Amino acid sequence: MAKKEKEKKVREPFNAKREAKLIPGYILLIIWVAFTVCALLWIVAASFSTSPEIMKGQTLKFASGLHPENYAAAWSSNNIKVFFMNSAIYAVLGTFFTILISAPCSYVLARFTFLGNKVLSSSFIVAMSIPQIMIVLPLFGLATKAHLTGTKIILILLYIGMQVPFTTTFLMTFFANLSRTYEEAAAIDGCSPMKTFWKIMMPLAQPGIVTVGIFNFMNIWNEYFISLIFGATEKNMSVGPGLKSVLTSMQYTGNWGGLFAAVIIVFLPTFIIYVVLSEKIIAGVTGGGIKG
Amino acid sequence: MIVVFLTPAVILFLGIFLYPIVRTVIMSLFNIEGVTDPMKLWTFVGVDNYVKLFNTSLFRTASFNLFRIWLYGGLIVMTLSLLFAVILTSGIRGKKFFRAIIYMPNIVSAVALATMWLQYVYSPRFGLIKSILETLHLDNLAKVQLLDNEHKFMALVLAYCFGMVGYHMLIWLSGIERISPEYYEAATIDGANKIAQFRYMTMPLLKGVFKTNITMWSVSSVGFFVWSQLFSNVTADTQTITPYVYMYAQIFGGGNTVTERNSGLGAAVGVLLSLCVVIVFTICNKVIRDDDLEF
Repeated sequence: MAKKEKEKKVREPFNAKREAKLIPGYILLIIWVAFTVCALLWIVAASFSTSPEIMKGQTLKFASGLHPENYAAAWSSNNIKVFFMNSAIYAVLGTFFTILISAPCSYVLARFTFLGNKVLSSSFIVAMSIPQIMIVLPLFGLATKAHLTGTKIILILLYIGMQVPFTTTFLMTFFANLSRTYEEAAAIDGCSPMKTFWKIMMPLAQPGIVTVGIFNFMNIWNEYFISLIFGATEKNMSVGPGLKSVLTSMQYTGNWGGLFAAVIIVFLPTFIIYVVLSEKIIAGVTGGGIKG
Repeated sequence: MIVVFLTPAVILFLGIFLYPIVRTVIMSLFNIEGVTDPMKLWTFVGVDNYVKLFNTSLFRTASFNLFRIWLYGGLIVMTLSLLFAVILTSGIRGKKFFRAIIYMPNIVSAVALATMWLQYVYSPRFGLIKSILETLHLDNLAKVQLLDNEHKFMALVLAYCFGMVGYHMLIWLSGIERISPEYYEAATIDGANKIAQFRYMTMPLLKGVFKTNITMWSVSSVGFFVWSQLFSNVTADTQTITPYVYMYAQIFGGGNTVTERNSGLGAAVGVLLSLCVVIVFTICNKVIRDDDLEF
């Protein structure tokens, strides 16, 4: 009954009285959205403009035409290329291994009762709300002892470790909701439990895995603090601290067009993912447990 | 099979969370010259590190800044996000579009977002806010330097809040959407208007969600770092410094804050911040009980 009414609501014709009540709401939303869109579009415009034009406040006139060479300059001469590639490596490898490690753990936690199950799953939840400052000092000591400082491996390892609690907790709801008949049928057909997981349960949890994968990718891409401490040299920096160092140097050289181009380059990957998959991402924020 | 599936995750958890947490707590009780020093070089000082922190005026400033960010920012973010969530569920058109745009800042790199605010929105020459105020003929307001020492802190909080509203709005939305529309139909038939419905139905039923929101807000504001770094030109800018920045300067970056090299102090900052999260969480659980209502 309720569902039917909901469907009717969508097709409801324009009702002046009902809409009038909503006008204040519309105004607020439109102000907020307009602000966001204006700021964003201005940055895009500025990235195609020249420094003198930006300074004069004539960014939107494009008096001297478009300047895509800002992007070429930002990409090659300011190390953005290096930071971009680093972040891509961290995000792709980090996401892949996080899921490879978390999915089996999550499956076992969601499906089997054993000693320590509760302890482990609540530890993961606690770990999600621990400030990074609480773990970073000993990790730095460990990394130095293992001669891993100044390498990319340490950052990948840390990102995997830090995403595991969130990823495992997130996937548990997906595994818990799958029907037990799949496993029973597989067992009758002589499929071993491990094979059942990789061949049957993993593909069934795919929607959850894709969502959590996107979150992992975006979290690692946008990460700042850990990258700043463990990726100290420009060679290993990810886009966060990298962009900051570019900004500092460009402010002194006064290449504003290049600066905004660099911002757009860093902004684009996660933005494109969001444009394509925003529904999935938004549903995932609150859908599968709490994001840490 | 259970063991095989759990082992990698458990090893990572022990190595990256449990061991460092325990070690940080221990470190906070020692005087340690270098972060990487082995244990035998540590000297036990008890709670001296904590006492020293509370007596450092820069750390007190940093903590007070963080508290203000948490309180003012929290008020702004909670109000706006709840307002947007209520508007979005009131039956407007284009709900998905608005929701997507409002959440968008959350998926963008904080550095890029902060740059947008610093170099454009707040710009004293061609900034968005300046242009808006000029168009409204509020010329006196338009002349205000938004990034000088007087206004920097508020500018920082506002820019940070802008990004956080979307995330908390989604948490509110999930709570509101869980309430069955039949309740509202019944209330409407009984003659309760929208405001009464919000006050006597939505608010009590959202208590649990409110708790989640506060906890999440506290967890994310404790780690306040990037924004602070980008809004300050020097390491120890008293307007924007937070405990994270203080700790980072203390241990990893020279800058102008370091008075003595002691990693124990950094560890103590970590322990104090974690305690804050625990305290907020405990208070929330004590004050807000959401188990007395079933729906």
